[in-house]
Order: sequence, then C-alpha cells, then structure tokens
Amino acid sequence: MTIEEVIFYVLATGAGLGGVGVVLSRNVVYSALALILSLMSVAGIFILLSAEFLALVQILVYGGAVTIIILFAMMLTRVRDMPRAMNGPQWPLAAAVASVFMAVSTIAAVSSQWPGDTENPTVIPLRTLGDSLFRQWSVPFEVASLVLVVALIGAIVLAGREEGE
Amino acid sequence: MIPLQHFLVLSGVLFSLGIYGVLARRHAVLILMSVELMLQAVNINMIAFAVYFDPEAFVGLIFAIFIITIAAAEVGLALAIVLRIFRNRATANVDEVNIMKW
Amino acid sequence: MELGMEQAWLLPAITGGTFAFLLLFGKYLPRGGDFLAVGAGVATFVVFLFILTDLLDVPRESLPIGKGWDWVSFEGLEIRLGFEVDEITIVMLAVVTFVGSLIVLYSTGYMRGDPRYGWFFTVLMLFITSMLTLVLADNLLLLYAAWEGVGICSFLLIGFWHERRSAAEAAKKAFITTRIGDVGLLIGIILFWRATGTFDISEIIEAAEHGEGLLGDGTYLTLATLLLFAGAAGKSAQFPLHVWLPDAMEGPTPVSALIHAATMVVAGVYLVSRMMPVFAAADPIALDVVTALGFITVFISAAIGLVQTDIKRVVAYSTINSLGLMFIALGSLSVTAAMLYLLTHGFFKALLFMASGSVIHATEEQEVSKLGGLIKKMPITGWTFAIGALAMAGLAPLSGYWAKDEILVALEHEQNIILLALASFSVFITAIYMGRIFYLAFLGEPRDHHVHDRAHESPPVMTMPLVVLTALTLVSGFIVFSGVGEALGFDGGFGEFVYFEEPEVFHFDWIIGIGSLIAVIAGLAAVPYFWGGTGERAHAVAQQFPWAYKLVKNKFYMDEIYQVFLDRVVFVLSGILAWFDRNVVNDTGVDGSAMITRLAGYRAKFVQTGQLPNYAFAIAFGVIMLAVIAFAVEF
Repeated sequence: MTIEEVIFYVLATGAGLGGVGVVLSRNVVYSALALILSLMSVAGIFILLSAEFLALVQILVYGGAVTIIILFAMMLTRVRDMPRAMNGPQWPLAAAVASVFMAVSTIAAVSSQWPGDTENPTVIPLRTLGDSLFRQWSVPFEVASLVLVVALIGAIVLAGREEGE
Repeated sequence: MIPLQHFLVLSGVLFSLGIYGVLARRHAVLILMSVELMLQAVNINMIAFAVYFDPEAFVGLIFAIFIITIAAAEVGLALAIVLRIFRNRATANVDEVNIMKW
Repeated sequence: MELGMEQAWLLPAITGGTFAFLLLFGKYLPRGGDFLAVGAGVATFVVFLFILTDLLDVPRESLPIGKGWDWVSFEGLEIRLGFEVDEITIVMLAVVTFVGSLIVLYSTGYMRGDPRYGWFFTVLMLFITSMLTLVLADNLLLLYAAWEGVGICSFLLIGFWHERRSAAEAAKKAFITTRIGDVGLLIGIILFWRATGTFDISEIIEAAEHGEGLLGDGTYLTLATLLLFAGAAGKSAQFPLHVWLPDAMEGPTPVSALIHAATMVVAGVYLVSRMMPVFAAADPIALDVVTALGFITVFISAAIGLVQTDIKRVVAYSTINSLGLMFIALGSLSVTAAMLYLLTHGFFKALLFMASGSVIHATEEQEVSKLGGLIKKMPITGWTFAIGALAMAGLAPLSGYWAKDEILVALEHEQNIILLALASFSVFITAIYMGRIFYLAFLGEPRDHHVHDRAHESPPVMTMPLVVLTALTLVSGFIVFSGVGEALGFDGGFGEFVYFEEPEVFHFDWIIGIGSLIAVIAGLAAVPYFWGGTGERAHAVAQQFPWAYKLVKNKFYMDEIYQVFLDRVVFVLSGILAWFDRNVVNDTGVDGSAMITRLAGYRAKFVQTGQLPNYAFAIAFGVIMLAVIAFAVEF
C-alpha cells in the first residue's frame, strides 16, 4: 500500500464519517461540525487529485463562508428549540432509496469499462488552469459573478426586515 | 497511483448520504447541509474525470469551480428563504410547511 | 391552347369560379353580379361547342376522352379525379349549358326586385357547376359528390323563399326523399368498389361485362345495380319516391325549369344510361324493375295531372310522366330513345315551365280557376306554351313526337304488345291533361277579371328564351333523321350517335307512328268536349266516379301514407333511438366517463400532501429508478 493510498483511505474515511454525522446526528451543531469535517476531507481529496486550487477554494468558501452562514441560520431559526425528532416519518423510504442508489453507483463505478487510463491521473498545472479560466471561460466566469451578486441581493431582500415588521 | 474507481465509489457514498439526509431530515437547515454533501460528491466526480480522462481541456475542473460558486449563492439564498419562512410561520420544519397542495 | 374534350374540366371550372366570386364579392357588384352569371353560362355553352366539334373529329372507338388527376393515393386505394366526355355526356352537356344559359338569362327578368337577387344567381352557379361535374365525372365517387351537390342546390333553391312555410317544408321534403334514394346509390357504389377495387366507371363496366370477381355473382351484381337505380329513382322522382317533385314547385319558376325539368331530375336517367352495360349484364329483373316503376310512375302522374288545377303542378306532374317514359325506354335497353327524349324534353319542358312562369310573373296567380283567356293579353307566352304543351302531348312533327315514337318502337322491339298498348294509352292521357291545362289557362273566357286586367306580356328578356326554346322544340326532333344528322356534322341520325351496343338507324314504323298520333289527336279533341264552356261534362264524369276522383285528387294518398308511416314507424323508432342516445350514450357514456374522471380526480388530489419531503422523495425515487433501469439495460 502506497503512501497515497493510505492518505486516500484516511481522507475518505473522514469524508464518509463526516457525511454520516451530518445526516444521522441528533444534535444539529454536531451535524454542522461533521459537515466541516467532511468538507475538509474532500478538500484533501482534491489535493490528492492534484487540484490544489480547488482545494483552496473549497476551504475558503465552504470551510469559511458556508459553514458560518449555516451556523448563523441555525442560531436565527432557534434549532435547539425543535422537538427531539430530527427525522421525518419517511426516513425508512429515504434509507431504502439511498441504499439502492449507493449500490447502483458503486457497481456501476467498479464494473464499467472506462474509456481511458484509470490508473494514472495527469497533473494540471495551476498556471494552465488560470489561463483557461480567464481566457476560454472568461464570459461564463463573469456571468457567474453576476449570479453571485444577484443571489446576494436577493438574499438580503428576502431576509431583511420589511417595513412595519 | 490511486485508481479512478476509488474516487467514484467515495463520490457515490457521499451522494447517497446526501439523498438520505434530504429525504429524511425535517429541518430546512439540515436539508441544506445534505444538499452540500451531494454537491461535494458531484465535485469529486467532476475533478476525477477531468484529471484522468480530460487533461487537455479539463472541463470538469472548470465546472467544479462554477459549481462551488453557484453552491455558495444557493446557500445564501436558501438560508434567506429559510429565515423568511421561519419569521412568517415560526417554524423551519419542512413538514409543517404544507400549503403546497390542493 | 386547343379547346377540346381534354379541356372539359374547364366547364365546371368556369361556373365554379363564378360561384366563388359571386359568393365572396357578389354583394359589392351592381345588380348582384347577375351579368357574371349570364356570362359564365354563355361561356360554358361556347366551350361546349368546341368540345362538340372536337368530339365529331375523333373516331368513336377512342371515346370517352378526358383528363384525370390523382386524387387519393394510398397503398391499396387509388382514386382518380377525372372529367371525360362521351356521346351520352355530350347530350347532357347540350341541355345543361344551353338551357342553363337561357334560364340564367330568363331569371334576370323573373327574379327582378327580389331581396335575395344576387344569392339566387350564386346558388344557380353552384348548381350548374355540380351538374356539369356530375355529367363529366369519370368515376362514381366524384359523380356521387356532384350528385349530392345538385341535391343541396335543389334544397336551397326550392326553399329560396323560405319565409314561406310551405317552401321550407317542400325543400326539406325534397332533400329527405331524394336522400332515401341516395343512400341506396352510395351503398351501390360501395358494392361496386368492393367488387372491383375502383370507382372508375369504364373499369366497372368492363368488370361487369366480363363478370370479374364478385361481379360474376349474379345476385351481387343485380343487388348493386338495383341500389344504383334506387339513387336514380329518387333523383328522377320515380314511384314511390316521386312525391317531392310536385312540392318542389314552391321554388322560383326558373329553378323549376332548370333543376326540376331539364337537368337535375334527368340525372337519374343519365346515370342509368351511363351504367346501361351493367344493367344489361345484371339479372333481367333489374331492367324489369326499371320498366315497371316507369309504368307505375307514368300512370300515377298522368292521372294526377288530369285533376290538378295549379298550372305549375300540372307541368310538374307532366315532368314525372316524362321521366317515367325515359325509364321505360331504359328498361327496354334503348339508350337512344331515353337520351333523345331527355334532350327534347329538356327543351320543351323548360319552355313549359318558363311560359307558366311568365304567366305567374304577369298575373301573380297560378290556379287555373282564376286564369283563362290569357292568350289575347300574352300572345308570345300563350303560343309558346301551346307549342310546348303539344310537344309534351306528342303531336307530330314536334320534337316530343319523335322522341316518344322512339320509345314506343323500343317497347315493341324489346317488350310485348300489352306494354306497348299501355304506353300508347298513357300518351292519350298525357294529351288530355296537357290540352286541358292550356285550354283552361289561355283559352275561353277570363274567370277572374282582376287577374285578367293585371295580366300583361312579360319583358323581352323573358320572352326571348321562350322563343328560342320554342324554335328548338319545333326542330330538335328532326335529328333522328340521318340526313339532318349528317347535315349537322354527325355520322347519321341520333340513333347512330347515341346508342347501346348497336347503332339504330331511324326507320319509321307506320303503325306505331300513326297509332300514337291518333291517340294524341283523340286526347286533344276530348279537351274542348269535356272542359268547354263551364266544364260541366268534366264535373259530370267526376260525379260519376266520386271515389276514383277523390283518390286521384288526393294524389293516391301517397303523402298521407308516408305521413302515417313517419308517425307510426319512423318517429317511434327515432324516439327509441333518442331515448338510447339520451340515456345510454349521453348520460351513461359521455356524462358517465366525465363523472369517473371527476371522481378519480377528487380522490387522487390527496396524493398532493403538500409535504415537501414527499415531493422530494418522488423526484428522487423517479431519478433512481431511471438510474436502475439504465443500469439494467447497460449490464
């Protein structure tokens, strides 16, 4: 077992446990912390795939911004006051559907004939990535920024206090 | 190096967990967190395919960047909506918000 | 472009185009666009002359000539749409285009001042279009379409003054009565199509002659032929479907002249003539039915004609009489006699109708009990009516005489002496009632002085067609002679031009010819005797046989019998069907399925729980099932 594989299994275990924690924990704050664990492990996976830039973005956006917003939302919606039953009545159905999907996707991933080399990933240099992002994909990039602006304004309008409230 | 299939299986597991969370959880914020899990699974897939099969154009990588961007916007908006619902109906439990019917 | 038989489609195209134009823009034109209708009529006559010239140039064996287009082209169903000309068609075209043009012209005088003046000409154009299509059609399907087209025009024109209840009723009666026959015709056409797989008339005739396929089965062929004849009998007002034609006189008189004398009602005769080889190939019973119905029709109509007092109705019954004679001729396999009678009848019957129309126009009265002595006031109308009536009666040497003579000769050839005697007797009665109506309307003393003072001669636009038709009535019979035919450019007399199987060179049978002439003169001579003075001798005869007089006066109670049949059978049956429709089809079928849908929707709406997780589950379930299916297909 190579050092990479060891690292992969450690990270994969972290991501999976984090995921399990998110969906199963009875305490919402633990759920949020499990989500952070999962997200950080995935960032590590990105590094293993030699996508360091994505890993950095992941840590910045998710680890920083998203998690903070989620925690704030929990606070504002007084999650702690909720009744103990965290899961809805249809959780057995949900479990069944999720297991079926897990089985199907696993079998598909393992047994498929992939059209290329599945052993050796190519390292994509950060410089090449940046070049492509700001030349070839510059228009979608700008559009994405516009989407962000619109979404933020929308969020402010939605969450902001109305007059007389 | 690590074979592609390892990443795909990890991605499938995370995605399934996300599905379970979305369908089973009652609280809107928890559902959102499960959605984030699903998005992570997709991102892993995107990047894995890009670096194994598509090193010239690496479209998957670019898409992953956009997915993260849109996910951030989505989280912001969705949580604003949750706040709004909570303020109007004094709950953030999705099964208590049941006006979408006949 | 050389105008000839291949361009025969131009005929309906001209009038059809005029119809469409009048329909769309007629009300913006001065005089409702009647000049366009007259122009179209004249144009069709000119085209007809070109076609006739062309026909005389080609050898007879190459007929019929025409042009067709693919209409419907499916696997196993090929229908061509074609117009073609042969010698029977030419005779019909002569009547339709020539009499049609004259009547359109006459109508500009007769219909003057009518609030729907333009509409009259529009429908008239549609009628001529349909009639031309009917006679030119080379397949039974197109013929049937045109057949219904003339039926609709007849309906519209009989009910032209539909504010009058009797006119509306008559229009409905005509339409429904002919429809009974039309159903037979349609079934007959379908039977022929089923047997041969084609609607083409020539191909069907060939198949019938050679007894191919189903047509080799005598019963099948006879049944199909008789059904075809049912359509012809309905359209041509043969017993027992004749009841509509007298009532059709509610329409304007030009309509009676064109549709109910010269053209539409002879469509049945035309159809049987066209399909004569099929009738001949079928069991002899088919032709016997044709003959028998012809005789019944002749005697019924002649008897009723004797007692009618409405000038137009007498002419109408004389039309039924004539049509019966034509079918008698066809029953004796004599297409020549039928078509010659059709041609001359087209002239003299149109003349009779237009002359009586002239009387009605001038006096606004059509009961002969209020007319009388009109010949001094209306000389042209009077004399032309006299010639028309004499031709109808069959006095030599008018055209009606020669045509009737041909029929009698054909009877002598093909049937027995009893039928010949019966036919001669009908000639006698015809002479009596035609003489009677002329005598009562135009001769003697005026019976109603208000009416008499009002009477005046009609304008030239109405009398001119009368004079033209009178001239033709005088001379058109002579085309039976070879010399006359050759002088006109034909191969010989009429019998050598239009015939079935063998050309018939005209020869004069002295016994029959003189015999029928004696019958006619005797009939005419009886008129002054019975109806002279105040008509007390006729009254005395009626007093002598009160039950017979009542029977005839009431038209053999045909209308009453039909009414009882309608009330007791048809309405009861339709009541049952209406009940079935209301309760089973509507309440159970239509409303029932609607109720089921509503109930199902009412129950099914609870599937919409309003719970977001349920909706999300449905989506996820669907997507994952799709994934599973894709997976199962892939591996």
